[in-house]
Amino acid sequence: MSVFREHKTVADRTASDRRRHKQKIEKAIKEGIHHIVADESIIGKDGKQKYRIPVRGIKEYRFVYGSNGKQVGSAPGRDVKRGQKIGEPPSQGQGGQPNNAGGDKGEEYYDVEITHEELAEYLFSELKLPELQRRQLSNIDTEKLKRKGYRHQGIMPRLDRKKSAISRIKRMKASRFDPDKAEEGETFSFHEDDLVYRHYKMKKKPCTNAVIFFVMDVSGSMSQEKKFLARSFFFLLYQFLRLKYETIDIVFISHDTQAHEVDEKDFFEKASTGGTKASSALVMANDIIEKRYHPSSWNIYLFQCSDGDNFQEDNEKFLEEARKIMSISQLYGYCEIEPDVSWLSDPGKLFQLLKPFQGNKLKEVRINKRDDVWPAFTNLIGGTTSTEE
Amino acid sequence: MSYKLENLKEWDEKIVTLAKKHSLDWYELDYEVVDYHEMIGAMVHHGMPSMYSHWSFGKSFEQTMNRYNVGMEGLPYELIINSNPSLAYLMRENPLYLQILIMAHCVGHSDFFKNNRMFKSTRPESVIQRLRAAKKRIQKYVEDPHVGIDLVERTLDACQALQFQTTKYGQVRRPHEEIKAEYVELINNDKDGRYRNFNINMYPIEPDYDLLGFIEENADIADWKRDIVHICREEGQYFWPQIQTKIMNEGWASMTHYELCHELDLPGELHLPIVKMHNAVVRPHIGSINPYHLGFYLFQKIKERHGIDECFLAREVCYDASFLRQYLTEEDCVELNLFSYSEKKKSSVTVDDVSDEKGWKEVKEDLIKNVSGGSIPVVYVDEMKRDGMLIVRHEHDGRDLEIKHANEVVEYIKYLWGEQVRFYTILEDEPWEID
Repeated sequence: MSVFREHKTVADRTASDRRRHKQKIEKAIKEGIHHIVADESIIGKDGKQKYRIPVRGIKEYRFVYGSNGKQVGSAPGRDVKRGQKIGEPPSQGQGGQPNNAGGDKGEEYYDVEITHEELAEYLFSELKLPELQRRQLSNIDTEKLKRKGYRHQGIMPRLDRKKSAISRIKRMKASRFDPDKAEEGETFSFHEDDLVYRHYKMKKKPCTNAVIFFVMDVSGSMSQEKKFLARSFFFLLYQFLRLKYETIDIVFISHDTQAHEVDEKDFFEKASTGGTKASSALVMANDIIEKRYHPSSWNIYLFQCSDGDNFQEDNEKFLEEARKIMSISQLYGYCEIEPDVSWLSDPGKLFQLLKPFQGNKLKEVRINKRDDVWPAFTNLIGGTTSTEE
Repeated sequence: MSYKLENLKEWDEKIVTLAKKHSLDWYELDYEVVDYHEMIGAMVHHGMPSMYSHWSFGKSFEQTMNRYNVGMEGLPYELIINSNPSLAYLMRENPLYLQILIMAHCVGHSDFFKNNRMFKSTRPESVIQRLRAAKKRIQKYVEDPHVGIDLVERTLDACQALQFQTTKYGQVRRPHEEIKAEYVELINNDKDGRYRNFNINMYPIEPDYDLLGFIEENADIADWKRDIVHICREEGQYFWPQIQTKIMNEGWASMTHYELCHELDLPGELHLPIVKMHNAVVRPHIGSINPYHLGFYLFQKIKERHGIDECFLAREVCYDASFLRQYLTEEDCVELNLFSYSEKKKSSVTVDDVSDEKGWKEVKEDLIKNVSGGSIPVVYVDEMKRDGMLIVRHEHDGRDLEIKHANEVVEYIKYLWGEQVRFYTILEDEPWEID
């Protein structure tokens, strides 16, 4: 005779495993963000669409055999001949030979679909424009997330630990589970239904005026890779501003030896072949500020991406204009793109020129590779990471 | 549920009475009736009532649940562990006929666990307690401010990657001095000069296939880390026999449920769906090997050819590779239409050999190479250098390693070992080194 019993505990045995896995996936989403940045087709899109982010799966590696081993199959009653083609090899990304205990070999990708709002939550939740001050004539609306009760569904960053713990305790009491009398090893873990998330609603709120200058070097020395990195950086910045400060003014300036005020599309797509006069862009920015954005009414930010190359004779002029910008702006962020050097090599000329002025008004960062884009961005915006070089 | 626990008990009584008549000898069965959510949870925890926490179980839960929700696959109908008593799960959502089939099937599994010699060192009477204790210890490390979740997780990631790189039969590690003394003896009595150039100062003296055991014994690492290595090595050793006997185990259990259900005097409304389900379980999977099918088929053939006693003998002494080597005949290969296939220059998968007069032996060999854990590459510790560097080699048998995985796994070995590691294999006929 065998023993029979009904499963009693209400504990969800894999809850903590799943939570930990989810955290890893979310981390992978953040790391996978440069994949969307790299997708030019979404540059300049409105906030309604959803993004599909290929997130690298959290893989469990083992020693497994490659593709030169033989497998065996059965096919009773079928006609099988030597040399007969029976399939395609597993393609990259699909992975896996049939029937192989080792499991898939290719990269696992989860296609995670996230909305603009979630993207913002993941990326920008702890970031805001630094030093934003009240100016007269507040006419810019900002959409602000406002706490509005709790929900049982939500995303991890909004998990309310205390409320969740309380509902677990309530459930424990209701089920008459007594931790002191529990069998050894028996625990009362969290259940999906215990989890409580903070709920937010968008609320419009008038906010201070701000104008952001995007200044990009598009001269001949900016290689494809450099442009890609610069564009990635600006794209992140653009997304951030559009999501957080809906009606903020953005001015796009691209320059080689001459500066042009361009629209968003041209800014992200057009290239040039000329030399570099970095001062030209700053002259134009100062000019535009004078005409359209008086510092007493506007918070001014300027972000510049360049590879640091500049005509020798232009350096003095550049510095003069840069000082002017610093004196009237909240922040001048200079981002140097140099993918071809190691960390040990010297920064470019403009970086050196600006270095003595580093401080609250001027921040300098360098981007050498794709992975640097996000840290550089958070450094400039002043988020979670430190602003130390 | 259209039936009660009482109904299950009634049918169980009939099943065990019959099974005893068939000379089956199993651990007492301990059935737990669970819902599908708990069933998936139990499944990803390998049926263990208590398991340490690791994200990989969460991943496999999500994957299983997703597949279940989109209807890609049903849940495993049976889940039973090698413990004494044998803990088995019955999913509440299953209809009565399925529960009857599963209970008969479980008798077969438990009988196999108890009698097959591969399982002799698995200590089924204490496995549940051992894992419970392991879970507690790991939890303690997670809560220890000097260790914490990130380090514990990284160690578990590494250990799980190497989990089956240990001995397959739960052998006890022999002390270095003991092995050395044996070799000293051999060298002293060396008449034909076989050991003239033997280096007695090597460490280890013989290739050590128990990579996790070697690390546990020799690595200069913190106690908590060593303990996690120990836990995962034990777990790997516990599961090795099941990997080695997948085909036999399922074949034996299928034969058991088949015969018992036949003799149970089932009313038609229960018998017909059982026959239908049985046929679905043991059907061949075209293009691959269904262990239920192959195992059931071969046990039936052995019974036909050599009588039932031979079946009992095989279930006691064989593992999949020896089982197939000994009993799979040319006639069987032809009837099952076994064929071997491989990927050609990354362009297509084609058939290499078929089971005709000329090819069946080759196909059989290829099959044997892939069973009993043969798809898990074999690596061994070759040498530990004076400066602590560990030399690990892959025992190449014609099949190359997937190098991307190997690179990652070597990183894991380094993390566990704490010193330099060098790994050697052969890739496309050239020596290959990872360090």
